[in-house]
Formats: sequence, structure tokens, C-alpha cells
Amino acid sequence: MADNAAELVSLTIDGVPLKVPKGTLLVEAAKQIKQEIPVYCYHTKLGPAGLCRVCLVEIEGTPKLQIACNTPVADGMVVRTQNAKVDAGRAMILELLLVNHPLDCPVCDKGGECDLQDYAMAYARGTSDLADPKTSKPKGVDLGPTIVLDEERCVVCQRCVRFDDIIVGDPQLVLKDRGVRDMIATASGDPYRHNFTGNVTELCPVGALTSKTYRFKSRPWDLDRTQTTCTQCSVGCQMFSDVRFGVPLRTMSVEHDDAISDGWLCDRGRYNIGFYDAKERITQPLYKRGDTFMQISWDDAFALWARAITDAIHLSGPQSVGTIGGGRLTNEEAYVAQYLFRALGVNNLDWRAGRQRQATPGSRGGTLADLERANAIVVLGDSPADRAPVLDLRIRKAVKRANATLVRVAPLDVSPVPSIDVVDVAQAAAALPATASSIAVVWDGIDAAAVERLLDALPENVTVRTYITSEQGNARGAETMGMHPRFAPGFAAAENGLDTEAMLAAASDGALAVLSIFGANPALRHPNGPLVRAALAKTPFVVVSELFMTESAKLATLVLPAKGAFEKNGTTLNATGDALPVNASLQAPEGVLSDLEMLVGLAEQLGVNLPAQEAVHAAVIEAIAQAPAFDLGDHAFRTRAAQAATIPADGLRVAVHSNVFAGDGTSAHDERIVALRPLAEALLSTDDAKVYGVSSGDRIDLEAGGLTLHNLSVAVRAGIARGTLVLVDGLATAPANSFAPGAVVRVVHVRKGDSTLVEA
Amino acid sequence: MPVVKVLTDGIGEVDLRSIDVYRSRGGYVQWERAVRDLTPAAVLEYADKSGLRGRGGAGFPTGKKWSFLPGNDKPRYLVCNCDEAEPGTFKDHMLLEFTPHLVLEGILLGAYGIGSHHAFIYIRGEFKEGYRIFTQALEAARAAGFVGKNIFGSGYDLEVTVHRGAGAYICGEETALLNSLEGKRGEPRLKPPFPAVAGLYGMPTVVNNVETLAYLVPILKNGWEWFAAVGTERSKGYKVVSISGHVQRPGNYEVPVGTPVRELIEIAGGLRPGRTFKAVQPGGGSSACIFDEHLDLPYDYESMAKAGSMMGSGAFVVFDDTTDFVKAAYNLVRFFAHESCGQCTPCREGGHWLEAVLERFVHGRGLRSDLDMLKRVSSTITGLNLCALGDSIEPFLKSVINRFPEQFEGKLIKETVTA
Repeated sequence: MADNAAELVSLTIDGVPLKVPKGTLLVEAAKQIKQEIPVYCYHTKLGPAGLCRVCLVEIEGTPKLQIACNTPVADGMVVRTQNAKVDAGRAMILELLLVNHPLDCPVCDKGGECDLQDYAMAYARGTSDLADPKTSKPKGVDLGPTIVLDEERCVVCQRCVRFDDIIVGDPQLVLKDRGVRDMIATASGDPYRHNFTGNVTELCPVGALTSKTYRFKSRPWDLDRTQTTCTQCSVGCQMFSDVRFGVPLRTMSVEHDDAISDGWLCDRGRYNIGFYDAKERITQPLYKRGDTFMQISWDDAFALWARAITDAIHLSGPQSVGTIGGGRLTNEEAYVAQYLFRALGVNNLDWRAGRQRQATPGSRGGTLADLERANAIVVLGDSPADRAPVLDLRIRKAVKRANATLVRVAPLDVSPVPSIDVVDVAQAAAALPATASSIAVVWDGIDAAAVERLLDALPENVTVRTYITSEQGNARGAETMGMHPRFAPGFAAAENGLDTEAMLAAASDGALAVLSIFGANPALRHPNGPLVRAALAKTPFVVVSELFMTESAKLATLVLPAKGAFEKNGTTLNATGDALPVNASLQAPEGVLSDLEMLVGLAEQLGVNLPAQEAVHAAVIEAIAQAPAFDLGDHAFRTRAAQAATIPADGLRVAVHSNVFAGDGTSAHDERIVALRPLAEALLSTDDAKVYGVSSGDRIDLEAGGLTLHNLSVAVRAGIARGTLVLVDGLATAPANSFAPGAVVRVVHVRKGDSTLVEA
Repeated sequence: MPVVKVLTDGIGEVDLRSIDVYRSRGGYVQWERAVRDLTPAAVLEYADKSGLRGRGGAGFPTGKKWSFLPGNDKPRYLVCNCDEAEPGTFKDHMLLEFTPHLVLEGILLGAYGIGSHHAFIYIRGEFKEGYRIFTQALEAARAAGFVGKNIFGSGYDLEVTVHRGAGAYICGEETALLNSLEGKRGEPRLKPPFPAVAGLYGMPTVVNNVETLAYLVPILKNGWEWFAAVGTERSKGYKVVSISGHVQRPGNYEVPVGTPVRELIEIAGGLRPGRTFKAVQPGGGSSACIFDEHLDLPYDYESMAKAGSMMGSGAFVVFDDTTDFVKAAYNLVRFFAHESCGQCTPCREGGHWLEAVLERFVHGRGLRSDLDMLKRVSSTITGLNLCALGDSIEPFLKSVINRFPEQFEGKLIKETVTA
């Protein structure tokens, strides 16, 4: 806030002398002496707006009351936040706010945690001269897939409007009409939709903006609150899980989580909590006999699993056993998983089940605060807006507030903040300002070679920080805990095992006897879908721990019902290397175990002694404390290079991109976020759209190697290279990995927007 | 009769919309002189020493306003405020339509005086005809080489952009005007920063009223001494006063500042026969009424302020004994409530509430407790608002409620029979 933090200003508030940095606003200075100044429109993260006028204070020498939210401190200033004049001003503002605010507190979601209730109690007169009816405005306005608006309750603080503008950079909400008739609405009239909409329900000081998922569900004082870490992506936002009668009713951000979430949550993290009590959840181990699954007991499940492993090791050695997964486990679970399998001599361990190859940025990894302070930011690969939404808000903050230069290599989306979009790494390096002394590189852990080329092209005297946004929340934790064919915990050298690619290749050759998959769905997420399906079909004993019958679970021999993140305790390691607590707020359904409990059950059957809980905890902390000595391009990661840039002669080459709401597990089985899931889209370049005679909204069928994907919705995008067709990763309805990597597909049918069918 | 013809010279006599006619009467001579012979600082000196004060309502000294511009190398803008919408004011409207070249020459001089290369005029949406006339005048001036690149071969460039508003009173407030000009919602900005530091598109900006800028032309022609010699101690020069209400010949009258109130009524033809004087609202809808005891006051900034009112934009509305002051108050409060942008609480809610109560009074359904409420709410909200609109609600209401309480008492609901 202050340009020069060292320069202090002395002032007196309510008789208490204090010194604060020059430029500090009175409303913030008063917090130092624990004197609360009421605010509606002011918000620490949004700054002053001067609209609600409730933060009135008296400043000696100024005849009129002043607003504390927009008054910077001055030397010798004498401020009174409480006296008859101030009280009268505030009482007037509250009386006025209540002229048209409906007194429907008994049925208002905000009741009990409402700033209008609280300040009315603290500052209002208690009586009113109001003798006329209140204005009538629309109630229950459907703003979009997530938010419902009660126009009558709105106090026009415009925090929601300013959030969209200042924080998100996508100013959808505006104030329409004027005077007492003014209303919050989207400027276009289109549904209010971006990845951060839920935050406006928390910013709203009253009950005007409410979440569809929580509306009329509970009184806040009836909720059991637990603070935990969101594990839906690798940012690690702190959040509250608010539970009533065993059902997670809502999540809330943690206001003081400046280091990680900056106080925000994305809509995936906030709203995707409805799967815990989904009826499709698996609640008993399932064992496949022939083509059908039968329910079995946990004892039988452990026995069968242990027997399969023992037999495999006995017959073909530990190299015939493999384990995939870890990015959805806690650090403790990942540690125990690798401990158990390594104890058996099994070195075929890999957390990687999707496209990502690397999760730990290595020696140049930065913090989120570093990211916010970077002079320039280069984004490579999948958009952080879809991989790590709240991290993307930091990028926007750096660009909007500190004028950082944002350079994006071959992006598929439109940046909400000014960006220089280039086609390759060489152009990216050239686009960076010569004055940039700190550069952040944000990538997706897929094509390390491209990042290396970029880093090589950067001047030597600049500070470079790298960031990897992961496909799964605890990818970095799993990697650090040694769920990796070359790393033991803490990146210590391990006896080499097969990585996921090699395991799948071995399995499809019939060389793998047991494959255990923990919290991963390679059948949908691995880029080579045909290989995964062949590998799982060929492997005699496949175990999958899951919440739902995913594509991988369907191909398993033994399916183990697993707990979700709100149902277990442990720690997770986020993209920037912060170890964060995962605290249980829910009771898991009966019959469901955590992956840790499964591993304990398996170890008992195998006769392996696992370390005690305290020892696991200590080992996890020690592993995290080991600073990774490697950087990009370490041979341990075997980079997955981007597809050849050649334009196929006949057809289109398939590429994929992430969408924050894609996935077939927690996202697919949550009725609360149905409207947020992405369409099965095929993104095409403008050129190819012309070639195929299609435009956005048309539907196409794709075919390659005898496989067909039906009814993909066409979206024409300028940023896409000619000859490339981009599919959404991880959509069960249209798996992007249906075809082999780099497959060239043919467009076989086109359905125009008016439903006429055209043979392509 | 002290009516003068300075800005109004030629209006109604010749076609000043024609650039040839305007030039034949000395038009654009000052503009040429300024660009060729005067430095911007010299033009500023004219504005400053003449004692010219803002004619839009606030009466801020023009030269002082210009001097607030920071000495940085950012582009700076002059914006001419032609969003005239104050109830009772219709002078800028007339100047725009009848002497558009004078308005333009004033804008050019103002822009030159602050060292700007781009001036804007924001024309109220309803002034469709004025917009057409001014745009034609601008094109004629551009064709003559008075606007554009390398004016008079001096190397000085000045562009003028015409922008039409969409018809909102609040856009006469300078920061709301700037927002509207930028294509944003017309609502006042939080100050600081002030426009002089961060105005249009975040650049140093001066916003001046049409009449203010137009007076620069005769001031340059006649010298600042000529202007400063007229008027009262701190209110100098001339003023176009829009006289309306219960007078026989309402209209715009240009007079020396300081002409007595009584004389202004006479200039406009006096009251209708048989009627008696009740009040004058001397400075537009935002001003308090003055009464019999104020008739001999000079009409200037200081005297009107001393009488508890203001000269404002020079909207002078006369009320005789036929006036229903309850209706008049309701009419004005309804106007302000309707025109409130609604962003800040006191103006939005207070204006609406007062309107609702006054509407009941108009229908004879006032409550005794309302009388206190009207005074309490209107006075408490004054000073709490983000801009001046909310502070404009109280003055007229308070002045007539105090002066004519019987009119309000007469509108109370008849007492009900008590048990």
C-alpha cells in the first residue's frame, strides 16, 4: 500500500497515538489499535469505493464527517471513530440502508453472519420513521449456473462488480439502471459465469448474492466448521468445510490465507463437494469374476490382493508388480505406498497417470508471493486458469496491479488481462522486456524441453522462478514422497523401476502380473488410451482404489472403495512446495476406507511391518525438507515432447487441453455442478473450420483407426494451429485419449446448427 | 436596465451559426492572436487576472483551476461541460445553438491555455439540435484551419472531439462526465484523485463550463481589466442569468454580476399583475430559496451564500403567491431521486424516502411525524454523500418548510378520532 514502508506517519485515533506507514488508509490504521470501523463497500483486497458511507469518522479540523476508507493517514491527524456526531452519521446510513432492505432475516442465508444485521445492532437507532412501503424488486434472480440474486437485499456496495473487474479481470457484473432502481446484472444479459463466481457470495455483505448449492440449506450457526486444504488442484487453497448432519453444505475461503489463496476460491474447489454423498459411490470392495463385479468383504479383498502380489513376486519377481498413482493421496499415504512396495522389492512405482511428467519445479521453484512480484511471466502449455485457477489470479494481479508483462506460448484461451500471445518459445523469449529482472515461468509439467529452451534463451542476470501446475492436487507430494521410479522419499536415489509408460508397455506385453492403481484414472487421463486399455486388459490382477466406477475401475479385477479428501486426515504438498494440512470434516460412508487404511490392511496380509504413525509423519516432514537438487530436463522425468508440428496431409492431429471442471470422478458425480461441466468440444483453427465447412456450435464426429467419437461441439478459435484439433482432457463422454497420441483423425460427419447432417 | 451584450452579442440579430458572419464580427481573431502571439501561460494569466469564476455552478476561480495541473509530460485534456441540466438553467443550451463558434473559440483558448492538444465537449443527450449545430460549426472551423494540425502555421495541433451524453443529470458532475465520456457508467468518481491529476483516461484534465470558456474570448479581446472592473469585490464580470418562473418575460439575460435581485425580476418583466412575491430560487434546483428580505442583495457568489443560498449556474426561478411549495418541493426532490446514480447510500435511499413522503403530502396524506423526518433526514444526509447531488436535496426543501410551514401542515392527514 505504501510506496515507502519505512516512512511512518504519527496520528491519534480515539486518543491512542500510533505510527503507521505513509499512505495507509484510516480504515486499516484503526485495525492496529483494534478499533473496528464498519464497512460495506470497502474490502482490503478491493480497496476503497466510497459508496456505502458507513465508515464515517471525525477528523479534527475538518467540519464534515469523512469516510475512513478513502482517507490516507496524515502526520498529526486526530481521528475520532466514536462520538455523538459519528454515531449520528452512521445511524443515519444504517437507517437509510434499511429503508428498502427487506427484513426477511429469518429466511435469509446470510442471517447470523450478515454485516447489515451486525452493524444495525451496533450502530443503528433501533427505531425508524419509515411509514411507506419498501420498493419491490426481483427476487430469486438466476444470475448464472452458480449464483442467485435477491435484488431487494442488495445494498449496492458493488463489491461483486469490483471483484469481477479488479480481481478476475472479467467484468461481467455491472450496476444497471440508477437511483433506487439500480440492480446488479451481467452487462450482456448472459449468464454470470467464470471460474471464480462463488467468491461474490462471500464478498456480499448481505444476503443478496447466494450460492445455488447452499440456498435455504442451513443456518450458519448450525454448521460444523473445519479448516482444511482444498485438494482439487495443486494450489492448496485453505478453506473451511461447513458440514451439517454429515453433509458438506458449503465451503468458504479463509480470509487471511494471503500466502496461498489470497482469500479466494475457484468454483471447482468451492462447489465440487456434492460427490461425497452421491448415490454412485462405491461402498464395498468389488471383485470381478468373468465380466461381472461381485461384492466381497475387505478381508477377502486384502487376501486376494496380497495373494496376487505374493504369487507374482514368487513366480516372476518383483518386476512383475507395478503401482501407479499418488497425486490424489495424502503425503502420508504416498509415503506408505512406496514404503510397502519397495519393502517387497517392487520398484515399479509412478505417480504419473496422465500427461504430466514432472511436478516439482526443482531448484528454481518460486513462491506465490514471488509470482506476484515478477516483472514478467511466461506461460507454457495448459492454461493455469484451468489447471490452477487461483494461481492464475496471482498472474492477473501481477499484470493488473504491477504491470508485469504476460507472455503466453500458443494459448488456447483468451487472457482476461493484457498478454502477448506468441506461437513458440523463441518468440516468447524475444517478447520479454529487456528491463525485466525477475521472470516467472509457469508450465504444466509436460514439455520440459520447451521450458529448457526458454530458460536457455533468457539473460543470465535475471532471477527466474519456475512453477508447475499439476493435473492432480498432490502430484508434487507424491513425487516428493518417492512415488517415482527413480526417487525415494526426498528425491534420494532409488533403485530404478519402470515408469508408467514402461509399466503400460510391459503390461500390454503380458509382463506385468499385478498393477495397483491408487486414486488415478489412466484409462481416461493417460494420453495413450488404447495402450492403457490393452495394458489393463492384459494384466491378470488390476487393483483400483476409487470413489466411483471410473473407466479404469471398470477395467480392474479388484475395485476398492476409497475415502475422499474431506474424509481423511493427512498433509498435502502444493505446487509451490508448502506442506498443508488435510483435515477430515466428514464421516465416510460405511465400508469405505482411506488408501492408507487399505495399505495397512494389505501390509498385514503381506507380513510387512509399516512404520508407526509418528515415524511416517517424521519421514514426510524430512522428505519435504529436502530441497530438490535437480532442475528441468533431469533424466528422471523423461519429458513428453509436444506433437510434431507438421500439418497432416489428410485429417487433423489431436491435441488436448485441461478444463477445470472436466473429469469423470468427483466432477462427473456431483449434481451441484452439472451446469459447470464443459461441453464435449472440438477446438479448430479458423482455416480448418473453412476447410470442413463448420462453424462454432456445429457438431462433428471424428474417426481414426476404426474408433469414432460422436457429436463433438465445434468451437473455432483463432489461437489454434492449422491441422490441429484440440479436445478437452478427461471427459468421460468424449475421451480425448480415445485415439493414440498424435493420432490423425478424420471428420466423418458434420451436423450443422440447424441439425442437417452433412457427410464430410 | 443593466442588460449587456457580451456573449449574447448578435444573438437574435444575425446568424452567428455561420462562420463568415461570426468572423465578420471579429470571430477567431483572439484565437489567432493567442496561437501566434501568446504563450499558454499568457492565456492563463488572462483567465486568472480577470477574476473569471466557473459559471457551471461551483464558481471556482478558473485560472486557479488550471494552475492545479501537474507539471508532468502526460497528455492533458480540456473538457467542456455542456451537460447543462440543473433545473431552471438554460443558458449553455442557448449559447451552443445560437453562437456555436463563440463556444468553440472559448474551448480552443481554454485548451491552449492549459497546453492541451485534445479538447472534448460533452453535450447533453437532449441537445440534439445543439449537437448538430455545434458539429457543423466545428467542421467549418476545421475547414478554415482553426482546428487540427499546425494551426495558423504555428506547429500547434489541437483536436476537438464532440461527445453526446445519454441524458443523465449526474453526468454534469465532472467526474461522472469523465466516466461517461470514457464509455463507462455515468457515476461520480471517488476523489482524490481529482481530475487535475487523473481525469479523462487517467490524464490531467480540466473540466470547464460552456459559459466560462466562452467568456475567455471577450476577456482576451478587451483585456482582463475590462472584465475585472465589473461586478463586486470577489465576483467579477458578467453572467448570463436564466430567469424563469412567475415573471412576465422569462428568458436568458446577460447582466453584470452583482445586479440586485429585485432588478433581475424587473428585467424579466416583473411579476404578473396583482401577484405578490414569495421567493426566488437563485441558483438552480440545488439552491435554497431567498425571500423578501433578500431582494436588495447583489446577485453574486458571496451575497447569495450569505443569504444561505448560492448563485450556482445562474438559474433564477421566481415564485409568487400562487405557489404550492409542497408540490414544488416534491417536484424537485423527485427530480433528484430520479437522477441519483444510486451508487452511494444517502443520496439513493434518502432521496427516494423523501420523495415517497412528499408524494403523500401532495395527496394530503402527510403525518405529523413526517415533518420532523423531512427535516432530519434531509439535513443529516447533507455532507455524507460521495458527490454534490445528494447534498442538493436539502436546501430548497428546508428553506420552504421553514418559511411556509403552514403549507406543509395543511397537507397533513386529518386527525383520526381517538377513542
